[in-house]
Amino acid sequence: MATVSAAVRRDWLVGYAMVAPVVLGALAFVILPLGMVVWYSLHDWNVLAGTFTFAGADNYQRLAADPGLTDALLASLWFSIGLVVLNIALALLLAVLLNQRLPGTTTFRTFFFSPVVVSLVAWTIVWSFLLQADGGINGFLAVLGIDGPNWLRHPTTAMVSVIVVQVFKNVGLNMILFLAALQGVPEELQEAARLDGAGAWRRFRSITLPMISPTVLLVSIITIVGSLEVFAQIDVLTGGGPGSSTTVLVYYLYQQAFQFNDFGYASALAVLLFVIVLALTLLQWQSRKRWVFHEV
Amino acid sequence: MKSDVIPVTTSGPPEPNAPAGPPGDPRRTAVTPPQSRRAGARARRRWKQWLLVLLLVLLSVPFVFPTWWMATSSLKPMSEILRRVPTIWPQDPSLDAYGQVFALQPFAQQYWNSLYIAALVTIGTMLVAAMAGYAFARIRFPGANALFVLVLVGLLVPSEVTIVPLFRIVNSLGLIDTHWPLIVIPMLGSPAVLAVFIMRQFFLALPVELEEAGRIDGLGRWGTFWRIALPLSRSALGAVAIFTFLKSWNLYLEPIVYLSSKENFTLPQALTQYVDAYGGPMWNVQLAATTLTVLPVLAVFLVAQKQFVQGLAHSGLKG
Amino acid sequence: MSAQHNPRRAAGVAAALGAALALTSCGGGTDAPVGEPDAPSEPVDLRMTVWTADETQLGLFQDIADDYVAENPELVSSVTFETIPFEDYTTALTTQLAGGNAPDLAWIFESNAPEFVSSGALVDLRPLLESTEGYELDDIVPSSLELWEEGEGLYAYPFSNSPFAMFVNTEQLSAAGQPDPADLVESGDWTYDAARDISAATAEDTGKQGLVVRDFDYQAWENLATVWSGWGAAPWSEDGTQCTLAEPEMVEAMTWIHDAAFQDGAMPGPGTTADFFAGDAAMTITQISRASSLDGSFDWDVVPLPAGPAGQQNVIGQAGIGVFAAGEHPDVAADFLAHFTSPENAEQLAAYFPPPRESLLNAETLAAANPSLSEEQLQAVVVEGVEDAVTKPAHKNFAKLSQTVRAELDALWTADADVEAVLTDTCSAIGPLLEE
Repeated sequence: MATVSAAVRRDWLVGYAMVAPVVLGALAFVILPLGMVVWYSLHDWNVLAGTFTFAGADNYQRLAADPGLTDALLASLWFSIGLVVLNIALALLLAVLLNQRLPGTTTFRTFFFSPVVVSLVAWTIVWSFLLQADGGINGFLAVLGIDGPNWLRHPTTAMVSVIVVQVFKNVGLNMILFLAALQGVPEELQEAARLDGAGAWRRFRSITLPMISPTVLLVSIITIVGSLEVFAQIDVLTGGGPGSSTTVLVYYLYQQAFQFNDFGYASALAVLLFVIVLALTLLQWQSRKRWVFHEV
Repeated sequence: MKSDVIPVTTSGPPEPNAPAGPPGDPRRTAVTPPQSRRAGARARRRWKQWLLVLLLVLLSVPFVFPTWWMATSSLKPMSEILRRVPTIWPQDPSLDAYGQVFALQPFAQQYWNSLYIAALVTIGTMLVAAMAGYAFARIRFPGANALFVLVLVGLLVPSEVTIVPLFRIVNSLGLIDTHWPLIVIPMLGSPAVLAVFIMRQFFLALPVELEEAGRIDGLGRWGTFWRIALPLSRSALGAVAIFTFLKSWNLYLEPIVYLSSKENFTLPQALTQYVDAYGGPMWNVQLAATTLTVLPVLAVFLVAQKQFVQGLAHSGLKG
Repeated sequence: MSAQHNPRRAAGVAAALGAALALTSCGGGTDAPVGEPDAPSEPVDLRMTVWTADETQLGLFQDIADDYVAENPELVSSVTFETIPFEDYTTALTTQLAGGNAPDLAWIFESNAPEFVSSGALVDLRPLLESTEGYELDDIVPSSLELWEEGEGLYAYPFSNSPFAMFVNTEQLSAAGQPDPADLVESGDWTYDAARDISAATAEDTGKQGLVVRDFDYQAWENLATVWSGWGAAPWSEDGTQCTLAEPEMVEAMTWIHDAAFQDGAMPGPGTTADFFAGDAAMTITQISRASSLDGSFDWDVVPLPAGPAGQQNVIGQAGIGVFAAGEHPDVAADFLAHFTSPENAEQLAAYFPPPRESLLNAETLAAANPSLSEEQLQAVVVEGVEDAVTKPAHKNFAKLSQTVRAELDALWTADADVEAVLTDTCSAIGPLLEE
């Protein structure tokens, strides 16, 4: 690019001006705070005592030796996998069902969407009632002759409960995104495939799914990002227990910072969390060419 | 009925590669004369429809019950709310809690705070994200990719991570107990990133030819964006609007940390303030207040959902 | 909107900028006691964080503060009471401290007390309170101060001292043909075993729950202190360095609790919460202040905590007010605290919070504050409950200990648990935390 015409330069300037607000915003409210977190992570900072002393890599060495962290990472892994898989599967199922022109579709759409606007705290509290040993869910299972587990008191069912409660809360939004995507699938394609004798499942897999794969990518990114903010649900439902089975990384970080007042170590955890999420997102983004139908 | 987009309701000969349905599956009994076959297909389709509706009803229960419980419990006395076996309908419904909602706190003021903050954040985000999304999608200025990645970083940072440094920044600007941090940070910081991302993807999908006409008419880059691209992006903006509004409306940790006077509180924060003299929550009043915050949003959704979904569908909101 | 004009904003932009940008600000750490305040160059605004949102309480605080402002116009121009919701209190307070925006005064949970006291975040109030005329520091029950002292220093004033007691649903008990606990108190037979048997029988009869240790829920284990104190047990030694969870008296107490829940059906099991005040349980151990939650839908009584094998032990829950060293005007804030908790004002506060002052701990003063309790109940439960009471377990490393013990004790809450083994494991898990 040896010579660039004045018109092109002017175009660039417009471009810079248009991205300026978000870029400056990112610098001030994302990058600068992140930098501060990295700086904190190199210190021993007890908020109460007001001590802030340089500690070098101490906090990072603690990361390596912290058995609680291993548990938290494992819990996060299960939580995120469960959340993403269940969320996408259920959102797709609901979207497909609601795309059938069945009677009452408008009402059902509102039903499934309603938890999205309900306050998180109210939502979680109702579920904590329902999930008790003798709560509503086990009452229902008893009618079917099933002896339900003590949901929030066993490591596996506690994790399942936290995931399901979170999925029900937010799946409505993803359902809407899928519904929109489904309506964007050209009917001619379906028709052509049907004439070729393709069955229902086959058409779903070979036409619908590839056509909406970009939305699947978007939804999985939104869901993973959303899975990072699960503090209130876990706090109300399980408090991170039983044992440490539902102490996911964000909850662990929160405990270190705000309960144990250990901001230096919490900052190191934050840096770790950031690196993990960054790596995962890059991986997802890189692999999109392989499974996302049309990169636009 | 025109061709359904969704395959499940269609009938036809079983496809060798398709998984075989259960023995009762109508697709297995396809050997019937053409005439009655069409009638049978219609009957089968109706059957299936009702089965699907039944499935939807069952699926609705876990979604609707908590909202129902919330709304009806706001009419119950405290002791009935905490009963272990929830009552479906209040034994002795009363609107007392709703009176208390307004008596105990400047609830109307707080409602207004939430509303105007969410509105400003939504409008601001739409504008900022549309501009940035357009520029990242269309203008090949040097460093565009690097800047886009820089912005995307915001998507990866949970608010718990940056709340302390952000608090220090806000405090050093003297903006504690004002609404500024709740307006400016969501508009420009990490919450806006998803909006930028959605808008960029939208403009990438928008055929360039649509803008050519504007070019010929002598509109500059800005004019093209403002007069042509932006109006075309109404549907994507709709998606951004609903995300952004809900996010701001439900913001919880930030207001608690930034705001300290009751007159400045937002709704999610105000809800936690209905406690008795010893910190115990007054559940009926909290639930009444919650109901008041939820129902209007649901009503708006009920009315606007069709446009919203269709808008998204036509927006080519494709990852 | 309020975003535009905030009174506090203009006041300290420059100062705050400097303070907050200096990341290495050594906020607290001054152990120097505060004395009589020197008049600041101009009157200051004081800020106190509280967790009550109750309008009448806040109104009373504001009245007391307004008197102070009127008497000391050269020191203070205003006092603001800032409500932070109970659930998020410590988070928000910590963020304010971390952000260099410490309040001048704050309410402090008892479970955080040793942490705050030993951290140096609070200023020593003793010299000022001793020298303040008419304050009568000697009037304060010494046992109520223990939690808030370190060495000679006194780092907070325990404004609330709410005894734990046993609330009883007498309607359910008599329907089940069980004896009245008040009679057992009279005859000296009010023991934990009696309470267990009555609860189990009543639960059997009503199909509801028996004895609920409120807020325990198989998570907040420190609430069991009300029970194990009757066995003379404690989770760690007085100086906080040795784990005593595996000592015989604790093993015995925990075995009693475990069996009450898993064998006798006297306590609800894990995952089952039952609210006494909703009529779902026969009795509950909770703070006396909860009497305000009773809405008259059933007959009830309140009696002192039962006796265990080691005798009867009163337990209180406390809350304190401290002055932050990192605040802008600790000396003025401490002077205000002396006013806020003076004998006259303490009497007013007694309308909501049982005071630590001997002179105010009598049934008449408290009767005005607790209309739902009879003078006899107040005498038996509050007045005598505060004397010689112990507090729930506290430790300067409490947050981590609480978390670790909770996770370990999860192994205890199954029907076939080996109590002693679990408690021994718990001790080895918290050993390093106690030594920190």
